[in-house]
Formats: sequence, C-alpha cells, structure tokens
Amino acid sequence: MTTATESERSTATGKAAGKPIAAAAGGRARRLLGAAFAALVGLFLLAPVLVTIASSLTTTSYVTFPPKGLTLHWYAELLNRPEFLDSFLLSIGVAAGAAVVSTALGLAAGLAIHRYPFPGKSVLDRLFSSAFAVPTIVLGIGLLQWYAQLGMASSPLTLLLAHLVLTVPYTVRLVLAGLAGLDRSAELAAAGLGAKAPRVFWHVTLPAVRGPLIAGAFFALITSFDDLTIALFVVTTDMQTLPVRIFNYLQYNYDPTVTAVGTVMVLFAAVAVVIIERVVGVAHLFGADPEQ
Amino acid sequence: MATTARVADGTALRSDGSAPTPGVPEPVRKRGPWRTGLLLASPAIAVLALLFIAPLFMLVYNSFRTQAGDPTLHNYTRFLGDSFYRDVLWHTLWIGALTTLGCLVVGYPFAVYLRGRSPRARNYLSLVLLSPLLISMVTRAYGWLVLLGPKGPIADGFHALGLDAPKMLYNDTAVVVGMVHVMLAYMVLPLMGSLDRIDPALTPAAKGLGASGWTCFWRITVPLSLPGMLAGSLIVFSLTVSSFVTPAILGGPTVKLMPYFVYTEATSNLNWPYAAAIGFVLIVVTTILTAVYARLLRGRGGKEVFA
Repeated sequence: MTTATESERSTATGKAAGKPIAAAAGGRARRLLGAAFAALVGLFLLAPVLVTIASSLTTTSYVTFPPKGLTLHWYAELLNRPEFLDSFLLSIGVAAGAAVVSTALGLAAGLAIHRYPFPGKSVLDRLFSSAFAVPTIVLGIGLLQWYAQLGMASSPLTLLLAHLVLTVPYTVRLVLAGLAGLDRSAELAAAGLGAKAPRVFWHVTLPAVRGPLIAGAFFALITSFDDLTIALFVVTTDMQTLPVRIFNYLQYNYDPTVTAVGTVMVLFAAVAVVIIERVVGVAHLFGADPEQ
Repeated sequence: MATTARVADGTALRSDGSAPTPGVPEPVRKRGPWRTGLLLASPAIAVLALLFIAPLFMLVYNSFRTQAGDPTLHNYTRFLGDSFYRDVLWHTLWIGALTTLGCLVVGYPFAVYLRGRSPRARNYLSLVLLSPLLISMVTRAYGWLVLLGPKGPIADGFHALGLDAPKMLYNDTAVVVGMVHVMLAYMVLPLMGSLDRIDPALTPAAKGLGASGWTCFWRITVPLSLPGMLAGSLIVFSLTVSSFVTPAILGGPTVKLMPYFVYTEATSNLNWPYAAAIGFVLIVVTTILTAVYARLLRGRGGKEVFA
C-alpha cells in the first residue's frame, strides 16, 4: 500500500516534474486546501466529545462549556454509583459477544453467497440487504413481542441475539465487498500450483477479507455497545445496559455525572483502540495491506 | 471452485438442512458446492429466520389487529388518512436524504484525502473519524445540545462577529448536524474500502494518455468508488430514518419523526397495534426507496469494469 500511495503522490505532485513551477504551486495549494478541509472535518467530529470531556470537569452542578473551574468531583461521585459499573460490564460483555459471533457468521455467509450455488441464495442475499432497511426501533418492538410469545425472559443472551440482527448484515456486506475485490484467478493459480483448499483459503482468500473482517468486528462491537433503541425494549429495570442507564438517568437529571461517565467510556474506548493497534494495527481496519 | 468444495465436504449435511429458504432450487450440477454453501450460510439463515423474519411477521400480524386482537384495517386507515401522520413520514424521509447527502459531501473529499496519506496519518485520522462512535449516543447528543445552544460556543462566535446567532437547536438543522456527525464514519469506511481497491496504476495511465486531473477523478475514481458510495448511502439513510435518540434530543418537541411515534405509541399509549402499523409503513417505504436507489446505482459499479 505504501508503494501505491508513494507512486500516487509522485503523480499528484510529480506530474510537475517536467512542467513549469506554477503547476507545482497549484499542487501545493490543493494539498493545503485538502489539509484544511480535513482539519475542519476533524474539528466537527471531535467537538462534542471534547465538550463532554471538558464539561465533566466543571465545578458547577449543571453542564456548561467552557467549564467553570476544574474539579474531579463528578468522578468521585461515580464511585457512589456502582450501577454504572454494572451496566458498563453488561454492555461490554454483550458487545464483545456480538462482535465475535457476527464476524464468524458474516464470514461464513459471505463466502457462501459469493461462491456457492444453493437454493434460496438470492433470497438470502436480498434479505441481508433489506435488514438495513428495517428501522431499529421497529425491530425492537417486534423482538419484544416475539420474545414474549416464545416466553423468553430478558437476559444478556436475548440482548446479544437481538444485536446480531443489527450486526450480521454489516459483516456479510463487508465480507462480500472484500470478496468482490478479490481476483479469483489468484485462488485458481494457487490451487493450480498444488495448494490444498485450506491452504488456498488461509493464504489467499482470508488475507483479502482480513480488513473487512476486522472492520466488521469493530462495527459490531460499536453498534452493540452503543445501541439504545433495541435495548430499550429488551432490557429490564435490573438489567440495564450503559446507554439505557444514561438515558434513564437523563430523564430526571442532567448533572455532570453523565459527562463523567461519557468521558470514562471515551477513555475505555481509547484503550481498546490502542490494544487493537498493538495486535493488528488500526490501518488494517481499512484494508491498508502492504501487498496488493 | 472445485478445490474449496473439499473443505467442508465429507462432513455430513444435517438432514434438517437448517431453516427452509423460499426460492426455486437451482439445478444442481455438483452436490459438493451446493451443500457447502448451505452449510456455511445456515447459522446466518437461522439468525435471520428466528430474530428478523419471525418478529417482523408477528409485527405485521399485530398491525392488522385491534388492541383486543380482532382483525381490522383501522390502524392503517388512521395513519394514511391523517395529513399530520403523512407529513411525519415525508419529513422523516427528508431528514434521511439530507443526512445522506451531507455525509457524501463531507465524507467523499475526506475519504479521498485519507487515501493519499501515509498509513500513520491514516491511522490517526481514522481514529478521529471513529471518535463519535466511541461515545454514548445520549452523551453525544447532549454535547451538541451544549454546542448549538443559544449560549454555546458557536452562538458566541456569531456574537463576536456582531451577528445574531441563527436558531440552531430544536429544528431540522440540529437534527441533520447531529445525524451527519454520527453517520459520517458509516459513509467514509465503505468509501475508503472502495477507493483502496482501485488499481493505483490507472490514474497515471490515464494521465499518460493525456487526461487531466479532473478527468481522472470523474472518469476513474468516482465510477470505481460507486460500490462504496452505494453501501455507505444505504447504511446512512436506513440508520437515519430509524434513529430515535438523536432526533428526539436535538429536534425537541417540534421535529417529530416516525421512530418517535413508534416509540410513544408503544410505550406511553401502549397501543401496540398502532405502533406496529406506523413501524410497518416506515419499513415498506424505506425498503422501496433503498431498493430503487440500489437498482439505479448497481450495474454502474466498478466490479464489471475489469471483467
């Protein structure tokens, strides 16, 4: 990938190699413009997060920005509220489960749809696409009634299963997109050179979808962890995920405790990202494979 | 692919054959691939059947019932016969379209910019891109509430310039800003995947044949990134029209969208059949829209270019 970007960049700027300086200046101006635009987008993306973090430090009993004074009082306040920790553990457990299961299911189903003839395949493909079109809130109500019909009591498992409906279509889509970009002749060549099927899969097919798989797992983790809409219908008063807990808390009060929770969540996510970076490299999320 | 057929072959296919899928069986040339495909797809099929299709069938069934459980069309006639509810539907789709457009306008240049960066810069920018998703949606919405509020930093900026700050809260603007903020990553990630798969030799080749930078962009980059655009737009639109929390907090009492009514009918009024009917109308409309959109863009994608 690096070589690709290198050659690209050299064409973007190096086009000027044999041309007058004006063209090079134009390239530089365009790059500056691009950087300025990216910086603006970055600010837009980060602003609410920064406001949340800053607000958690305010000495006022209400949320304000910029914060007035600095205090960790609201974090100390969190220690008196173990229910937030319980909710956090529930959320992260369900999210991790949803990520693992939906990645496995997505890979299997993606491969099946992409390369095997079987009855109902096109129907299945269409169903996965249509799953996106079904409003989450409608699914939430449907699942609530369905679980009631089946006599299934609310539990972390029912929540995880409900989240699969949100996450599996993503992972299937991502895997299919990854496979679409894979040149089948590479697999055929490997097979033709005598590689056994598992070996072809491991060395040719899997690397092509590694990026999509990790991205899919990450998507699933985030989607599940952040889900409020479905959880609102599936949880009970004594089993609340963190978003539900915060949402309910906000119905009655909006003191900076909530922004403190939000900040802790951000820190936790940052740690998770660092771990992912160490293990696989965040770049892989975006398919920045060194060889392509 | 004859070789992969051997992977799962030899393992006996479960005779129950997992969840039955409708559709006409194709003529089977080789039994191996046929079984393997079904076997691989069966867990996902089970999830779809038991957690997606079944609840939806139940919902549709309930939407044609009174609260007492008798058959009726009243829920639908009530919704479609009332201009108030029809406007709610249009407005929901409008917000969805605006958000999708906003994500494309902001996200496409951003994805293109990312493409030309070093892996390290991409990492950092990707983290920034994902940051809105690392914070609970409720907290995030309240962050915007503070930012867009009449005493917020943006309003202060207007005042500093001697201008009156426009109303930025409890209206469509607030909802679209909040939604674009949440949805941008969902648009940019598929776009980046698409852009990365474009053969880097194409642009220099076109330039060598005399194409200008703009021509390369419009004739190579844009067409080949259509699959990413399609995937991103579908995700963003569908998620937006079904969003409940962000519009509820940022739109306030004046911006009422479909999910809000689904929620209140179900929880406050406890009118499950009517909530189901509203939800079903939303499903039908979004399904039709996304199908049309996908049909319009598909076939122009980059996949066939190299065929």
